[in-house]
Amino acid sequence: MKKVLALLLVLVLTMGLLAGCASEGEVAAPAPTDTPAADGTYRVAYIARAQADSFAAWMANAVKEEAEKYDNITVDIFDGQASDDVENTLIENAITNKYDAIIIQPNNGEAQRPYAEKAVAAGIITITTNARISGIEGASSVDADPYLQAKVNAVAAIDQIPQDANVVVLLGPPGNFHADERRLSWEKEFFEMRPDVTIVGEEIANWNKDEAMNYMETWVQANPKIDAIIAMNDNMAAGALEVIKDNPAYADTLAYGVDGTAEAVLLIEEGRLTSTTLQSAYALAEALLDTADKLLTGEETQIDIDIDCPLVNIDNVQEYIEMHKRAGAIQ
Amino acid sequence: MSQEVKLSVSNIEKSFPGVKALDRIEFSVRKGSVHVLCGENGAGKSTLMKIINGIYQPDAGKILIDGQEVQIKNPIQARSLGISMIFQELNYIPEMTIEESLFVGNWPLDKMKKVDWPEIRKRTVALLKEEGLNYSPTTKLKNLAVYDIQMLEIIKAISYQSDIIIMDEPTSAITQKEVDLLFKKIFELRSRGAAIIYISHKMDEIFKIADDITIFRDGKVIDSRPKEELDIDTVISLMVGRKLSNNFPKVDVPIGNVILETKNITGELFDDISFNVKKGEVVGFAGLMGAGRSEVMRAIFGLDPIYSGEILINGKKVSIKKVQDSISKKVVMLSEDRRRYGIIPVRSVKENISISNLNKFIYSGKLHAQKENETVSYYCEKMNVKTPSFETNIEALSGGNQQKVLLAKWLITDPEVFIVDEPTRGIDVGAKYEIYKLISDLVADGKSVIMVSSELPELIGMCDRIYVMAKGNIMGSLEKENFSQENIMRLATASITKH
Amino acid sequence: MKNFIDKLKKLNSKGNYSIYLVLIALFIVSWMANENFATWGNLSNISRQIAVGTILAFGQTILIISGMLDLSSGSVLALAGVLSVSVYTMTQSLALSFIVGIAVAVFCNILNGLMVTKFKTPPFIATLAMMAMARGAALMYTKGQNIYQIGDYVVFGQGSWFGIPNPIWFLVITLAITWYLLKHTVFGRSIYAIGGNEEASNASGINVNKVKMKAYIINGIFVGLAGIIFMSRVNGGLPNGAIGFEFKSLTAAVIGGTSFTGGVGTASGTLAGAFIVGFLDNIMVLIGVDSYLQQIVRGAIIALAVIYDISIKTKRKRTKLIKAK
Repeated sequence: MKKVLALLLVLVLTMGLLAGCASEGEVAAPAPTDTPAADGTYRVAYIARAQADSFAAWMANAVKEEAEKYDNITVDIFDGQASDDVENTLIENAITNKYDAIIIQPNNGEAQRPYAEKAVAAGIITITTNARISGIEGASSVDADPYLQAKVNAVAAIDQIPQDANVVVLLGPPGNFHADERRLSWEKEFFEMRPDVTIVGEEIANWNKDEAMNYMETWVQANPKIDAIIAMNDNMAAGALEVIKDNPAYADTLAYGVDGTAEAVLLIEEGRLTSTTLQSAYALAEALLDTADKLLTGEETQIDIDIDCPLVNIDNVQEYIEMHKRAGAIQ
Repeated sequence: MSQEVKLSVSNIEKSFPGVKALDRIEFSVRKGSVHVLCGENGAGKSTLMKIINGIYQPDAGKILIDGQEVQIKNPIQARSLGISMIFQELNYIPEMTIEESLFVGNWPLDKMKKVDWPEIRKRTVALLKEEGLNYSPTTKLKNLAVYDIQMLEIIKAISYQSDIIIMDEPTSAITQKEVDLLFKKIFELRSRGAAIIYISHKMDEIFKIADDITIFRDGKVIDSRPKEELDIDTVISLMVGRKLSNNFPKVDVPIGNVILETKNITGELFDDISFNVKKGEVVGFAGLMGAGRSEVMRAIFGLDPIYSGEILINGKKVSIKKVQDSISKKVVMLSEDRRRYGIIPVRSVKENISISNLNKFIYSGKLHAQKENETVSYYCEKMNVKTPSFETNIEALSGGNQQKVLLAKWLITDPEVFIVDEPTRGIDVGAKYEIYKLISDLVADGKSVIMVSSELPELIGMCDRIYVMAKGNIMGSLEKENFSQENIMRLATASITKH
Repeated sequence: MKNFIDKLKKLNSKGNYSIYLVLIALFIVSWMANENFATWGNLSNISRQIAVGTILAFGQTILIISGMLDLSSGSVLALAGVLSVSVYTMTQSLALSFIVGIAVAVFCNILNGLMVTKFKTPPFIATLAMMAMARGAALMYTKGQNIYQIGDYVVFGQGSWFGIPNPIWFLVITLAITWYLLKHTVFGRSIYAIGGNEEASNASGINVNKVKMKAYIINGIFVGLAGIIFMSRVNGGLPNGAIGFEFKSLTAAVIGGTSFTGGVGTASGTLAGAFIVGFLDNIMVLIGVDSYLQQIVRGAIIALAVIYDISIKTKRKRTKLIKAK
């Protein structure tokens, strides 16, 4: 037993050291207090979809960082744990705790709609984001349009993907607004224009890199030629590319993603990913805080904006590598 | 006693793959009589009872109740025909209350088709009162003793107005006093006109309770006649198909020095226990249920803690905190509860035997299969374990053979002191004899045996010395010349005078 | 030939072959359904794809046999994996990152073991708690972001040795270890005994807590190894990777004939169970079955495989019982 205890102790220390490296600027959710902050600063509740979702986590980090630029705003971050139930509870708590503003990143827009309406009715400034819940009287929104995000890729792909091409499609979770809109956009903007293209495989990889890998490995067995990988996000595109990276038969395979993650821009630089659309968490965070500030100070009463969704390809990738370097996501 | 036949079966046959379990069985029970079935385990008694209770369907033959042929498809139908069965291994749900257990599966409903709890309460109270039992209807079964639960089963049978009641070894887990109460109840049922089928291995109780006796062997009825025409020796020889010359094969061996001794040990359920065991001695522990005998043995074996006092082996103080300690001191125990502390179900005979001896079969970190197989096979042969193969699941063996497997397991550890707690409970006469023989051989070999038993004839027949316990204390010890059931019971029921 | 028939008969008498028949049947049906199925490339793919889940399943098999289980394996895999990757990116040492990966998972499983043995927490609850804690720790450490640019770390999951991909080597090694432990060691026997009847095992002189702790530590080694292979295969440290792998691994073990009532199970059965799921997932993608339908079929096949297995075993048990009488 002594040996086990010694081992435990060593491990606890190791974990402590590792945790220490990571602790600066971590995303925590401090318990909000009932009383409004002193010295007249505004209290904003940011209710994230799920800290386990890497884009949502990136956004939460970005919001937290952006908020430090505002002396008059403090942001508390809450984790919706990818559950409607948890997310709705968090919104209700934020209302009860009399936050000045609530930013909701919905898990499922329709499920959060009545709670967002409750927040508006309670006289709290309510902003929905990524994806917006549209049509709530009195609420504001900041979003990137998922249809447009896919469209910029699809339009470019029309000229890039060869005649009679075989393509594979990797889908996000069914029922997810961004997943469905992006797929719809590809359908309208690409597949309907290019009836010569055949989809040889289409599977739900739930935004996950490892699931996308498994599907791609199987497709490669069944299809001697895959001309393009059409993925609804960068993670899945990266997973599929991982499978064919050293295979000369697939050296010319095109690949499309969405999000503009650090991994994706590096893949573009290497010439493996054809293009992606930047859904910049920094841009969203910037717009969110700006919107919140304007609404809180009474400068405006209702704002609906979409951030840009620029196409990232080999021509402009350096610009985005720089962006990620500044943010510390690329060394 | 009426001569009218209540239930009869004729020409019943039942086969399972590879074995004929029942062969042209003819058998009948009279109204208002107790009909005892005896026979070794596997002789076919239980199979026949399961057919009468609707659990099995016969391949051929007829069942008649009151002279009418009936088809019994399942136990529910059996119940509606007035048949109730009280099983040997009581299956009950510990969290159930008395009133729930009495009406489970047969809930009285009110007009709204809801369970009618007031009615249940009313009927339960009435039943308990009628039977003179002093329980609250809401007591949970887990708080009752085995005997009480058995009584409830009988009450249940009465509440169904059953007039055919089957009891499968009802006395295997209760004390003598409770047996007497149970018999009183059975006689009462008999005088009400019920036909009672009673399965038992215990000769003394068979002759106390039977009106008729039927003997089974190898799936056939060997003999069936009124009790008056039979005696114990005849029944045993009919059962086993051979003459047993001596029930208890104990031989006298020279007694040596004290090997195990306790000094004033106290545990949760026993107090200030001092006794000793000498080399070559069989020491008995008698007492009523709950006297603390098994608890003392469990503590010596390292299963339960000892609060104070000392244990000495060969005169040296030892510390026994867990079972591994006692095994290394060459003290082992065969538990009274075979299912709970004995066998490992779903595993093979071989694994059950070697589980306590694995270190003996280790060569360079690996289990040596051949060595293990040889040892297991030697001991199975020595113990006369009847099993199709060593890979057979232990659950597939009869109770007696399971017990022999467990004895083999402990023999391989080469114990100096072998504690056997109710070693012959629920096993057939043939296997009992083999276990007595083993005990006798052990002491002849210079080992010592502590035998805890509720069967007084067994203690008297096998032991050199008997300690009698009551309420967690040793009430006294008896030397061989003073052995008698009366002397033992006097000590076991005496009120505690010390302290 | 006679020898072969005797062997079959022996297998039959042990009665554990039913799941292998399901596996063979599935293989043949898949083979007929699609010409790309029975190619070396595809079979090697399937083996690589199931490697991580199956290594976890070997750990589960040991635990389930002894009457326990591990719901935390997916989360601990992620924590061990990201810490291992992170150590690699800091130190560029494969050896050190490997050791850290294993050590972290073993540490988490020692905690599981302590909760189960010292504090008598039911394994379901103890490992459920660990599932949340480990996932939280992985996300906290990485701030929810994937770790990229992991360089040569990919050798564990993407390299190969003598032409055989490394994940398959790891799969074979863990299979051999599990088989050896269960079949030829005192530990293995004790595991079966404890799962069969814990109180009787204790009364037979087995140090139950020690054996349980050992089982969790071995599970930890497997989980750590799986974490290293997983992260290496996906070329990144994914803090939210392997979600649901605990159920994947439980499924493989249970389809493979490991009984939740304890005391029953084998390494080869679990491997067969994992391949059944792997074949099924693969063939459905190859022939292009609708994604939603895939989930229904997967569930149905799991139910059928287990029902078949249990019905065979029940029949066998009954026959044996009567023979013995």
